[in-house]
Amino acid sequence: MKTISSLLVAAALAGSAFAVQAQDNVFKIGATRYDTHAKTSGIEGVGVPPGADVKVGDATTVIFVYERLFGPNLGAELVIGIPPTIKAKAAGSVEFLNATGTVLETENWSPTVLFNYHFFEPGATWRPYVGAGINYTKFKNTKSSLAPNAELGSSWGPAVQVGIEYAITKDISAFASLAALKVKSKVVASDGTVLTTTVDFRPTTYSLGVAYKF
Amino acid sequence: MRAFRTLSPWVLSTTLLLAACGGSDPDVPGSGSPSGAPTAPGSFSAVVSFGDSLSDVGSYAPATSLAGDGSAPFFGGKFTTNDTTTGAPTATPLGKVWVENLAASLGLIVTPAEVGFAGTTVQCPAAAAVPALASTCTAYGQGGARVTDPNGIGHSAGFATVPVVTQIANHLTRFGSFKSSDLILVYAGNNDVFTQFGGFAAAAAQIQADLAAGSISADRANLELFTAQQTAQEAMKTAALELATLVKTQILAKGGTYVAVMTLSDIADTPFGNSPEVVPARSVLTALSQTFNLWLRDGLTGQPVQIIDTFALYKTTYANPGQFGIVNNTVPACDAAKIQAVTGGAVTDGSSLFCNATPGAPYNTIVTDADVNTWQFADSVHPTTGGHKIISDAFAAQLHAFGWI
Repeated sequence: MKTISSLLVAAALAGSAFAVQAQDNVFKIGATRYDTHAKTSGIEGVGVPPGADVKVGDATTVIFVYERLFGPNLGAELVIGIPPTIKAKAAGSVEFLNATGTVLETENWSPTVLFNYHFFEPGATWRPYVGAGINYTKFKNTKSSLAPNAELGSSWGPAVQVGIEYAITKDISAFASLAALKVKSKVVASDGTVLTTTVDFRPTTYSLGVAYKF
Repeated sequence: MRAFRTLSPWVLSTTLLLAACGGSDPDVPGSGSPSGAPTAPGSFSAVVSFGDSLSDVGSYAPATSLAGDGSAPFFGGKFTTNDTTTGAPTATPLGKVWVENLAASLGLIVTPAEVGFAGTTVQCPAAAAVPALASTCTAYGQGGARVTDPNGIGHSAGFATVPVVTQIANHLTRFGSFKSSDLILVYAGNNDVFTQFGGFAAAAAQIQADLAAGSISADRANLELFTAQQTAQEAMKTAALELATLVKTQILAKGGTYVAVMTLSDIADTPFGNSPEVVPARSVLTALSQTFNLWLRDGLTGQPVQIIDTFALYKTTYANPGQFGIVNNTVPACDAAKIQAVTGGAVTDGSSLFCNATPGAPYNTIVTDADVNTWQFADSVHPTTGGHKIISDAFAAQLHAFGWI
């Protein structure tokens, strides 16, 4: 938690250091589809048959975005979502384990800071934007039907996005964005055996929502 | 813009700093190691050994009474190729187990802590015969003994199978504490493997019968087999953590200084592990030792002990028998039919406890042409005299590497 709050402080400081101008705060709310595109290193562990693997599912959630604008074209935004629950099923040689239910289930806390460049002038109806930044992902409340003690390591990785805003009124606009993240997590589940795997998530998120400028 | 430029490096460096804090990956149990064990040579006055049949220096000798009434002389008593050329099992040049070899290499004598059969046991029989030997009765290992469960293998047939937890308690009762001059050797868990493997095998037989009868699907059978294996592995985890706790609270905390703890070897690398009924479940047998070793290591992480990894050591021997002077590591040197004859039909499983290699003796039960020095196994799991020599040589090399001897 310490690391997340430090990041929030950093983001807040980044915002407060600027001279206030009209409408340089943007609040967005949207729906996000989280396609995990996960690859694993296969499951390793004592007593685990060779070829054991997991298949990580996708998730949908709600995101909240606060963007601070610096001048007409630049902005820094913090994206926080309601942590979606990501589920994984057994795959490969251990597919039969799915009879016990979801083999792994975890909440994905994934705050992301992005620095955006907005094309065109403020006030334009359509404003595309691109951004790059950093993502921190932490997994909480991890459960596994195979092992009571399951943990996923947290991850830092780059994030990029492209998006477009459509101004409905002076204050309100609709937005759509596509972001790509790089998240790598070591999974350790232990009981009688200790299962380990590294999940290489290359999630793509598709977001759609409304933005309010003030 | 200016503020942004001055601020962004700060943001970045904070981020990098946070990332560098790391430690975000979960710990993998069993990936640590012990630390803080002595590095200077010990001045040893006793070898104190806890364990099972591999470390048993004659606890059940009375079960092999020639007269059949528990009285000496005995024709067996150790789980190896016993040799009674000079009468008593422990006084002969052959038929020694690794504990005795190791003690002898340090110029020390070690004798059984408790000897007996069928409910009658004697503590430290060596002291009764020669009072000066009272301090030598520190070989606590007993065939069939488990880590904490008193109901070891063979218990119902009259073998004491004093578990390691009680072996250690008995030592503390007798001597009060451990000494820095004790070389303490803890080698237990094999009978927990056999017990759990037996449980798994019984479950597997039922699952296979259900599958054959068509009452469960193949997927269901796989799942049940997986679950049965997990249950067995969990029991091995429990035993390993119990052993680690005993080492910490009953040995290290009670003055134990030079403490070597053995992992379990791969029991699949024995005639038992290669027998037709075990072969389909060999990987489970291996996994049980590995599970025990993993949690033993986890339980001993950061503790001032040394681990001797028999899993790796015995693998080397088994894969390269010739390098260790072994010509046969597949056939037991003890003849089960001869043992059955000598014991009047009482012992049918070829247990080396009743195996005798004395040339010309009427109770010699060695396979014709077998050599107790170049054949590795006495019975389906226990080493011959030569097999034990390989173990004691390997352990001595480890103790040397630790700087202890």
